[in-house]
Amino acid sequence: MESNRREIEVMANLLGSNDLQADVNRTHFRKNNCLAINVIGSPGSGKTTLLEKTLPLLSAELHVGVIEGDIFTNKDADRIAVYKVPVIQINTGGACHLDSKMVSKVLPEFDWKALDLMVIENVGNLVCPADFDLGEAFKVIVLSIVEGDDKPSKYPVIFRNAQAVVLNKMDLEGLTDVNMDHMKRDIRQINPDIQIFEVSCRNGNGLTEWVNWLTQKAKDFKEFKE
Amino acid sequence: MHEMSLMGGVFEAIEKTLSQYEVKRVLQVKLKVGELTNAVPEALQMAFEAYSKDTLCEGAELIVERVPIRGCCRKCHHEFNVNTMIFICPNCGDTGIEVIQGEELLIESMEVE
Repeated sequence: MESNRREIEVMANLLGSNDLQADVNRTHFRKNNCLAINVIGSPGSGKTTLLEKTLPLLSAELHVGVIEGDIFTNKDADRIAVYKVPVIQINTGGACHLDSKMVSKVLPEFDWKALDLMVIENVGNLVCPADFDLGEAFKVIVLSIVEGDDKPSKYPVIFRNAQAVVLNKMDLEGLTDVNMDHMKRDIRQINPDIQIFEVSCRNGNGLTEWVNWLTQKAKDFKEFKE
Repeated sequence: MHEMSLMGGVFEAIEKTLSQYEVKRVLQVKLKVGELTNAVPEALQMAFEAYSKDTLCEGAELIVERVPIRGCCRKCHHEFNVNTMIFICPNCGDTGIEVIQGEELLIESMEVE
């Protein structure tokens, strides 16, 4: 019997349905003049702590909402709720990243007229979240310096795709072997345009620069200067 | 291990394609995966096996072609391969580099009978 073996061209994007929904989310944020940022970092890098330290400094000027991504618990959302900002927890139920559909499901829970900035804290992971667009304006990495100066070159995709990196736990610099020059050199080789903030959430050093930058970004977004 | 999610996208595309053709069995599926993504070929293989169970794809071969990163200098328009993740133009030394290849996550084609 003659074989009916043949090739069919497909040419489809594996992230096609995620990217479509991400564009819908992006349109939603734009329509409401609300800057959305996607905060990505390893477990324990200090993403939630950075938010806790940032919120009191921002709130004078900006109305902020928070979406917390976590595999199972509500612990992060509980920490953020103390600061009297609207916060919704997404539990991914095992998945290692947020996707645009998970985010779209919780968007109706917020009062968008009252918001200038939406912070989406992703699941603790430097790998998987990098491939999934949520519709944010840009990504921010939180990297604690104790993770080691080799981490930017080991996880280049996320460093290439982010607009800012907060290097946290700077108060521990003298207590570890981390070489800050190497760390920053590697980050700039991967992404020369990235903003680097050196911060200690513990003693508050460097927070002002970060907060001022973020505040300006939210204002620029409102005025279509982004 | 987000390769399971990515494989969801592969099978969405496969099902859509198969609905337009008369196919007894899928023999081979070809993916293109850029070096500037975090998809790991071995994990894609595992995810493919899991997804293909009890479908027309069961037993099919998954071929993952890695696509190297190519950049184009915004200043002098020189095109070059980006090696070891250093985004500097070898021609003029500028760091403003547009990535023109290497971010692909595509299902290219499939072989069927």
